[in-house]
Amino acid sequence: MLKEFYRGLPKDRAKVETYEHGFEYLERMLAGGAALEYGEMAAAGLLHKYKFSNMPEEQMDEFMNAHIAKACNLCLYFGQVENSLFCFNLDNNHKTNNMVAIPEMTLVVELLREILTGAGCEALVIASGRGYHLWCRLEAAVENERLYQFMVHSMAKALLGLHKQGFDHNKIKANFYPDPRARDVVSLRLFGSLHVKNKVFSQVLTREGLQGEEESWGAFEKYLGGKTISVEGFEKAVELVGR
Amino acid sequence: MKTIAVDLDDTLNDFTQTLETAQFQYDPAYNITQETFQKYLAMVRRRESDGNELLSTEYSYFAYKIHIECYRMTQARPGAAEFMQWLRNDGWRIVILTHRDLRRSNDVTRAWLRENGMPFDYLFLALNKLEFCKAWKVRCLVDDHLLSLAPRDDSYDVEVFYPIMSKHEGFPAQRGRGFRNFDELKQWIPNQDC
Repeated sequence: MLKEFYRGLPKDRAKVETYEHGFEYLERMLAGGAALEYGEMAAAGLLHKYKFSNMPEEQMDEFMNAHIAKACNLCLYFGQVENSLFCFNLDNNHKTNNMVAIPEMTLVVELLREILTGAGCEALVIASGRGYHLWCRLEAAVENERLYQFMVHSMAKALLGLHKQGFDHNKIKANFYPDPRARDVVSLRLFGSLHVKNKVFSQVLTREGLQGEEESWGAFEKYLGGKTISVEGFEKAVELVGR
Repeated sequence: MKTIAVDLDDTLNDFTQTLETAQFQYDPAYNITQETFQKYLAMVRRRESDGNELLSTEYSYFAYKIHIECYRMTQARPGAAEFMQWLRNDGWRIVILTHRDLRRSNDVTRAWLRENGMPFDYLFLALNKLEFCKAWKVRCLVDDHLLSLAPRDDSYDVEVFYPIMSKHEGFPAQRGRGFRNFDELKQWIPNQDC
């Protein structure tokens, strides 16, 4: 299911979050021809992040299996020209204590969900540490600039709704994927991950609330089976949201 | 294999001097007025925070853009490239170990190292470089940062070398050996792993 859901994203590069480290590990990862763009060791503990490129397909499969087994988190990058997936990444924008639930987040997620559903683009909403990822899956790839403009307009409407209800929209940090301004720079964790800070499973948020792990896989499967958006549907949504 | 970790900003280049003295042109793409540009630039040069409780702000984005500009403009310290090439020829595995946000500066960092003739094997971000060296069993570190000079904890089996700078004056370095130029440093780098 993961392979099918994320089918349009490049398979030759990824960011891997893992506690594995050391030159023996790294050189094993690079033995098949992959390159390390850069690595990162977290400020506390031994969590490491590695951005790999030029990965052979078999290695991506191995990382995907390790991701499902929760041995690592796999994060994928978006295509540089067009994509058949797009995602809103909403975070709590506070410098400190940004893992706590804030009312602005709860409200803006539902506002954005309604805007997208109203436009015919149903999103799969997944909890992610400081906030939520709202994924929309398309039948075919659409140019990045067009996806980005749609996301900006949709988000502006949601933030306006937040403002109208007396909340501060600055408390929400919104990033859009793909972002034509930041090509090949940012990646997103796949569904099925454990968040690196709070170790919480990437639960699906339905209208009934956050789902458990098994129910989240069920919601993921249901979305994959029936909520993919046609290109015509997307074009209609662009028109509706842009009005 | 003998491995050495080498810091980048203010160790291999003159980042602080560039940040404090370089000319930055106003660009409407910053999406701020010229007046705000001058105010923010002075704050960035002084390494000031905007005091905002929010993570992502107009000022934080501006500061990031100025830092990226500095990464492009900074000059290599005299002898730095020759030192790095000497390490390579002497069979060292070289890790560039930096505080930079490599997610956003990987390309500019690699380009600068390449253009300045500085060979390396891996590029890593670690806020606590001694912890990194401990985890990766790297026993030689070249770094100007005070944090790398402070601890006396014997569990850090790392030999630290630092370029002597004004910020080190009066700092009771509890580990590390200050060098005045890279030729001096070369004499102290052992033939084997530190």
